[in-house]
Amino acid sequence: MRAIRAGFLQMLVLMRRDMMLFAACLTPVLAGLGIRLGIPFLEAVLTGWFSKPAVLSPYYALIDIFFAMLSPTMFCFVPAMVSLEEADERTAAYLFVTPLGRRGYLAARFGIPAAAAFLVAVVLMPVFRLSPLSPGRILGLAAGGALQGVIIALLIVTLSSNKLEGMAITKLSSLLIFGAAVPFFIRDNAQYLMSPLPSFWIGKAVFENMPFYMLPAFALSAVWICFLLRRYLRNI
Amino acid sequence: MIQVNNLSFSYTKQPFISHMTFSVSPGEIFGFLGPSGAGKSTLQKVLTGMLTAYQGSAMVNGVECRKRTKRFYEDIGVDFEFSTMYEKLTARENLRFFASLYEKKPRPIDELLEMVGLERDGDKRVSQYSKGMKARLNFIRALLHDPALLCLDEPTNGLDPTNSRMMKDMILAQKARGKTILLTTHNMQDAAELCDRVAFIVGGRICALDSPHNLIMSKGAATVTYTWLEDGEHSASCPLDRLSADGKLKKLISENRLQSIHSSEPTLNDIFMEITGRTLL
Repeated sequence: MRAIRAGFLQMLVLMRRDMMLFAACLTPVLAGLGIRLGIPFLEAVLTGWFSKPAVLSPYYALIDIFFAMLSPTMFCFVPAMVSLEEADERTAAYLFVTPLGRRGYLAARFGIPAAAAFLVAVVLMPVFRLSPLSPGRILGLAAGGALQGVIIALLIVTLSSNKLEGMAITKLSSLLIFGAAVPFFIRDNAQYLMSPLPSFWIGKAVFENMPFYMLPAFALSAVWICFLLRRYLRNI
Repeated sequence: MIQVNNLSFSYTKQPFISHMTFSVSPGEIFGFLGPSGAGKSTLQKVLTGMLTAYQGSAMVNGVECRKRTKRFYEDIGVDFEFSTMYEKLTARENLRFFASLYEKKPRPIDELLEMVGLERDGDKRVSQYSKGMKARLNFIRALLHDPALLCLDEPTNGLDPTNSRMMKDMILAQKARGKTILLTTHNMQDAAELCDRVAFIVGGRICALDSPHNLIMSKGAATVTYTWLEDGEHSASCPLDRLSADGKLKKLISENRLQSIHSSEPTLNDIFMEITGRTLL
């Protein structure tokens, strides 16, 4: 535990020295403020403009899902960038032959940040939510979001070999969270084309108000994580 | 300290390390000597628990390497061939972090920095270090937790003669402190100078294993070459152990007509080539 704690704290030291990474950790709060204050204001403007009773409000639940995934994505982006730097400087290879080891390294770089992202999402969602969220739904969305964050972090470290490539992969892999929008807009069976994405099932669970659909989301996340972890460990 | 029995490993379907058996005693400097791609670094990776999908047995400090736990690394110090430091951090910050990973009380950082002449550079970022400074820093990082076993991969590779000498002296100093040292190198001079025993590795196999002295003596006798003037310069050679039977040499000595005489022993590299049919580079 000592080595994992030290490994995690080291990541915070490296993050503090990189303004981009430091700013990434503040993004969820800034985005939350923007959503909580900006979206209802925009809705008021748009409903008046179009003379319609609702323009954005039918999609408030979807915006809440995106926010639930944003915090973990940003929290996991930071360790992904640190891992890329460690792979580049080969410190990661050295850490594997210390008491931290491979498992400890993965826990310090992906496990603890994902857990922290889960907690942050649980705290921020009731503050910045747009739709009514039960405690169960908050926990489910935060857990699904945390797993999504880990998937994105692993995609970054698996597919890129330096920080610049990592930024590009971050943008691409963030598209995965848009699977959540599919059940809101595509009602026929074509929506299942996106079913390999865990975010699709999270969206479906919220849209159809069927918590049961969180199970395939968790199972698929586990499959994605196992597959990407293997690739990552083989590469490093 | 180390017991390896019938060890085999492969990255693909082709075997990369085949049926290796050897042991290393406490306090010994044991060298893996071979050309690039021979399997030396892979063998070190097995012994440091980085590669676990091997056949046979590899025991380090009484622990089977594939079953290593965190405790396994408390007694092993590894020095990779390349720098593995956080370049944006200072040497002192790096050492403090790596020391914090171990349960053991670390050796004083200032003492280690002083030992390798980096006491004035401890607060410099590692990115500002020269290659030699990085090599020395890497080396003392392996000593932070005072391990019983040091695994050094090409410790003098790419260093200038001064830094190389300093590194070799540091390795010998660790041996004097009772450390067991595994040295991977393709530099036969380093191996001959530092190692108590060396294993020649080619194609993933151990081709020979003995002390450098025994390997040299068993495979090639020293020769004596002498020259004299007799209608121009002439030279002749004879094995050192048959010197007294060389009538010409005896005669030249008795007539004080020798121009020059010198003995030459085969080097470890010569022996390596004779045994394996390959060069070290």
